[in-house]
Amino acid sequence: MKRFASEFFRRGISACGIGPVILAVIYLVLYRSGAMDTLDVRQVCIGIFSLSALAFTVGGMNVIYQIERLPLMGAILIHGSVLYVSYLAAYLLNGWLEQGKFPFLVFTAVFIAGYLDIWAVIYCVIKRNTARLNKGLVKKREGSDKN
Amino acid sequence: MKYKLIIDKNAQEEITAVVHSPSALTEQIENLVRSFSGTDSVVGYRDGEMRKLKFSETECITVIDRRVIAVDTNGNHYQIKERLRDLEQLLPSYFIRINKSTLANENRILRFDAVFSGGVDAVFMCGWRDYVSRRCFSQIKRRYEGI
Repeated sequence: MKRFASEFFRRGISACGIGPVILAVIYLVLYRSGAMDTLDVRQVCIGIFSLSALAFTVGGMNVIYQIERLPLMGAILIHGSVLYVSYLAAYLLNGWLEQGKFPFLVFTAVFIAGYLDIWAVIYCVIKRNTARLNKGLVKKREGSDKN
Repeated sequence: MKYKLIIDKNAQEEITAVVHSPSALTEQIENLVRSFSGTDSVVGYRDGEMRKLKFSETECITVIDRRVIAVDTNGNHYQIKERLRDLEQLLPSYFIRINKSTLANENRILRFDAVFSGGVDAVFMCGWRDYVSRRCFSQIKRRYEGI
């Protein structure tokens, strides 16, 4: 467990640098769309801290799939839940999500759909590469049998 | 293909095969040379008994709880005294690294499986499975590209 904790920390640290970059992109998009014109010191600080923490969590949480004893569905559930809470907290802290039931439901639906989409794409790519590898394995075996 | 035998009492004994690609023949030559020189097996320990494990009858050699373990064709686990790094130099060419702590007998890999977590598992004929790291996955892919 100690190894996974240190791996979580290592992955988190290497990912958290991207937080402020993402924040800058978000601010730029908000500025270009006319939703935001000026920023005060408090907003900038909260933004940098929260997005760095979010990137740290997202980066570090990938380590959960290295824990082989943890059932896969359990790992996905924990990963998704932690990411959901982190994203929700970051959105609420930065005021990017309005208070109320409807925005909360929309956010949840978008998060679940996005999460499933990303996993579906990753899974398809891995599946295709694995099929290629299996073909190679079969070809090699057939070649050996012929010889 | 030509066969060449050079008898020179002063030279160091060695067998060299010049081929276009590895095949069943090169594997057989390798096994024959290894068996002749007594380097075709490793000693494994299990429940107080000691057994000579032939490399060709070993599914994989892996590290479990910091111990080097050989998994045989029946799925039995044997502890090995040698370090994995040292074994890598001893093992025949049909042993491939699938992750940082596992060397797999390519001939005993049944298939590669894409797992929903976004990873790939190597499934062995005895039912044992182990993950394939991303780095090793590309190395194995390159190995099969030329076939």
